[in-house]
Amino acid sequence: MSLCSSYKPNYFSIDDILATEERLSCKVLQKVPRLGFMDHSSESKDLKPGTKLELSFWLAYSMNKSKDPIASIDIPKYYKESYREILNADACAIELSKWNTYFYEFGLHVAKFDHPDCEKLPELLLKTFKSRFRLVMDWAQNQDTNPMIASQLPMLERTIFLSGRKSKEQLVYWFKIGGGGIKTTELIANHKKRKRSTFIENER
Amino acid sequence: MDPNEVEFLGEKQLVSIVPNFNFDMIHLISGSIGPFRAGLPVKIPIWLAINLKQQHKCRIIGQEWMDVEDLKNIKEEEKKSKVFTKMPSNHYMDEVHMLLGAASDDIPNADEIRTAVKDIWDIRMSKLRTSINAFLKSEGTHAKLDHLTAMEINNVRPLLPHALDQMVRLQQIGQASATADSREESQNMSSI
Amino acid sequence: MEEVDEVVEENAEFLEESDEDGGVTAQSVLQDIENAWLNEKFAPEILPHQSDAVECMLQQISHMEDNMKSLGKGSMKSLIHQMEINRIRFIISSYLRCRLEKIEQYAMHILTEEAQRGREDGYLSSDELRFAKDYLSSIELLFRTLALQHMPNVLQKFEIETMTVKPNIHAHVFLRANKRITGIIVPGTVDEEVDFEEGSQHIVQYSAVADLVKNGDIQLI
Repeated sequence: MSLCSSYKPNYFSIDDILATEERLSCKVLQKVPRLGFMDHSSESKDLKPGTKLELSFWLAYSMNKSKDPIASIDIPKYYKESYREILNADACAIELSKWNTYFYEFGLHVAKFDHPDCEKLPELLLKTFKSRFRLVMDWAQNQDTNPMIASQLPMLERTIFLSGRKSKEQLVYWFKIGGGGIKTTELIANHKKRKRSTFIENER
Repeated sequence: MDPNEVEFLGEKQLVSIVPNFNFDMIHLISGSIGPFRAGLPVKIPIWLAINLKQQHKCRIIGQEWMDVEDLKNIKEEEKKSKVFTKMPSNHYMDEVHMLLGAASDDIPNADEIRTAVKDIWDIRMSKLRTSINAFLKSEGTHAKLDHLTAMEINNVRPLLPHALDQMVRLQQIGQASATADSREESQNMSSI
Repeated sequence: MEEVDEVVEENAEFLEESDEDGGVTAQSVLQDIENAWLNEKFAPEILPHQSDAVECMLQQISHMEDNMKSLGKGSMKSLIHQMEINRIRFIISSYLRCRLEKIEQYAMHILTEEAQRGREDGYLSSDELRFAKDYLSSIELLFRTLALQHMPNVLQKFEIETMTVKPNIHAHVFLRANKRITGIIVPGTVDEEVDFEEGSQHIVQYSAVADLVKNGDIQLI
């Protein structure tokens, strides 16, 4: 039975890497030499101020970081006021993965921007997660739920749903088949005999 | 943890059997059992009882609480009570499952017992889901779970702890983002 | 026939003599290992090793098996003892495997922490420590050969700070209090102080109770 830990992004976390790949609308503020190729509609060698681009978060963040940013960012619409109203009304009714598969993770990254819309963002994410958890739990505990439904959930909820569902399946299986207990596989049984004699050897 | 492992722990519980053979005391590492005298009841761990039963060496009497009337009373208590009532055993579900699975011919009213226990389980599970919902709506990140049995706790694992972990994470990052320091922070963006 | 039981009783006496507290039996060592197994399973970080208890139990099993040979394979007594041995083996293997998995996942972090503790207070047994070091150097070699050496010089450094994977000590755990404990600080938007009654069960962040798990006041379930 392997370690089962909840999602916590680290350097190697693929989901986090993918979340930072999500794109934002940006507007270039300064001229950037030789990056003209990033704007497909322009012929110029340089990136001109005023150009609108869709950039991945990791690049947009670097461009926006300093006091004199190279580009300004526009918060994705689903983190803005109007969509917030929708979420407050009934978060469970929304198919969040359609807005963004990495709704929560991307939201946490976006919240780092120094932008008025970002202030309330973490609070919104927490509130949404809390109100939707009931849905996730009910789906996971109900055997009749179609497992394909997981694709309607954003990544964070999906992971929890799938792990909950797996433990439910194990329980149902156990109810039906009954214990049967834990048996040594043949491979280990033979392996063990060798190892034990080495252990005893070392002891002496 | 999977149900087999919970059951593994449940197998340590003692149960009464009536052997059909004679044998002296056996000194196991986990304790001494016996002596075995044919026709006289003796208490042994469930894992051994089931094995002996399969070899037709004994009859399993079952636990004292495996009585239909008692279980029906427990069920009524559970329905009435808002909190979880104390169960006769921390492994009531797996004990019933194992013992009735191996020895339904020995234990009287096996089917009724099974049904009563399943009803109790359902009532408690439903109570658990409701309390989890209430708990999450509140601001707390700590809850008391007295009288919940091993298999019941395992049923909400990892769903509940993982959800709580994410809530704590969302909350912590929310607080961190609110301070100006995090703006100037690391070039490594994935260090949440 | 009596030999096996004599061995168990001898070992029990051996334990009693060698332990200062007295009253330590094979049974209590087994219970300690079982508790350690559960704690290790549910705790996010690696816990102090229980090598003494494990070695003691393995010795017991070993003696038991040697003596069982004289009993004859089919005898009921030896079958029963064998069943118990299999159960004990399972717990010990699962316990050690769980620890190895944590070592593999958090190798860098664990070694950094171990370096800060004295040899006496280390959480890893000497075998585990050796395993951790070997594992880490294998990983470093792998990264270097596979990727890093092909990258521009500036990016070739193995950045320990950013690459260390740390366990989530704020993970929530289920626990039972073995005795009455007061003054536990539960972190939250507002820190709360709670008391645990003996025998009560709770779910709480691991960080609030880590020390209590390590000293045995709390059992993870």
